[in-house]
Amino acid sequence: MKKEKISRTLEIFLTFLKIGCFTFGGGWGIVAQIQKEYVEKRHWITDEELLDFTSVGRSTPGLMIGNASVLFGYHAAGFPGALAALLGIVIPPFVIMLGVVFVYDQVKDNLYVARAMTGVRAAVVPIIFSALTKLMKSGLKDAACYLIAAAAFALCLFVKMNNVLIVLLGAAAGLLFQEVRNRRDLS
Amino acid sequence: MIYLELFLSFLMIGFTSFGGMSMIPLINDQMLSHGWMTTQEVADIVAIAEMTPGPLGLNCATFAGARTAGTLGAISASLGVVTPSLTLTMLAAVFLEKFKENRLLEEAMYGVRPVCIGLIFAVIIQQSMSNYAGTLFGFISWQAVLIGAVSLLVLMKGKWSVPQTILLAAGLGLALGGL
Repeated sequence: MKKEKISRTLEIFLTFLKIGCFTFGGGWGIVAQIQKEYVEKRHWITDEELLDFTSVGRSTPGLMIGNASVLFGYHAAGFPGALAALLGIVIPPFVIMLGVVFVYDQVKDNLYVARAMTGVRAAVVPIIFSALTKLMKSGLKDAACYLIAAAAFALCLFVKMNNVLIVLLGAAAGLLFQEVRNRRDLS
Repeated sequence: MIYLELFLSFLMIGFTSFGGMSMIPLINDQMLSHGWMTTQEVADIVAIAEMTPGPLGLNCATFAGARTAGTLGAISASLGVVTPSLTLTMLAAVFLEKFKENRLLEEAMYGVRPVCIGLIFAVIIQQSMSNYAGTLFGFISWQAVLIGAVSLLVLMKGKWSVPQTILLAAGLGLALGGL
C-alpha cells in the first residue's frame, strides 16, 4: 500500500471516530458532518458526490450511516478506506451503548439526562437543515430537479412510499429527462 | 450457540431493512420470538437509541447482544447488522467508482440527487414534529424551539461544527429544562 493511502486511511478512521460520537437524529447528521469535514474543509469530495453516497446508502439494505461511510471510504481510499470509515463510525456508539447497558436502570429515568437530550434533539433539525442548504445548490440544477425533489418529498411524507422505490423512480426520471433532452439537442 | 444465533438474527434484520425506524418491527419480532427481550424492553431501547449517538440498528444490536450474552454477544449482533454494508454496499461502491464516467449512470444520478434532497426535507418535517412537541399552544415546546433557533444561528452564521453545536444544545437543554 502506498504511503499516502495509509495516511489517508488513518485520517478517515480518526475523523469517523469523531463523527461517530455525534451522529444523532436517525443518521442524517452524518451527512452534515461529512459535508463540513470533507467537502468544505478538505475538498476530498464534491456536494454532488455526497448526495450520491447518501442516496445509494439509503437504497442498499442495512444501516444507512454504515452504507454512506463505506461508499465515502471506498471513494477516498479503496477497501482499506471503506473499512476504516465503517469501523470509525461504529466503534463510538458501540462502546457508549455497552456502557449504557450496565447503567441502564439508573440512567433511564434520570431527569438531567432527559433534559440534556431534549436539547440535543432540538439541535438535530438545524444540523440537518444547514447541510441541506448547501446540498441544494448542487442537487437542484434546473426546473426538472425541483419537480423530482417535490415529488420525492410528497411520496415519502404523504404516500409513505418505501425510500428505495423513490430513489429508483428518481433514477428513472433522471434517465428519461436527460435522454429526451439529448434527442432534442440532436434533432 | 447463542453468539451465532445473535449474529444470524441481526444479519437478517440488516438485510431486510433499510435503516432507522424501519428496523423496529423486525427487531421486535426477532427479540420476542427468541425470548431475548420483552415488548417493554424493545420500547426502552428505541428511547435509549434516541439518546445515544449512532444508528438505531447498531444501538439495538449492541443492547440486545449485551443483555443476552454480554460483550461477546454485543459484538456478534453488531457484526451481523453491519454485514450488509460490508458486502452489498461495498459492491455498490466498486460499481459506482467503475462506472462513474458512464453517461447512463450520470443521467440516473441527475434524477437521484434531487430525490435525496426531497427525502431530507421529509425527514426534517418528521423530526420537527417530534422534537419540538410540547405544551405551548398545546403542541410546541418553546425551550426546544429556542434551542433549535440558537443552534441554527451558530451553525449557519457562527460556522460552528456539529459536535460543538450538540454540546451547546445539551447545555441549553439542562439550563432551560426546569423552566
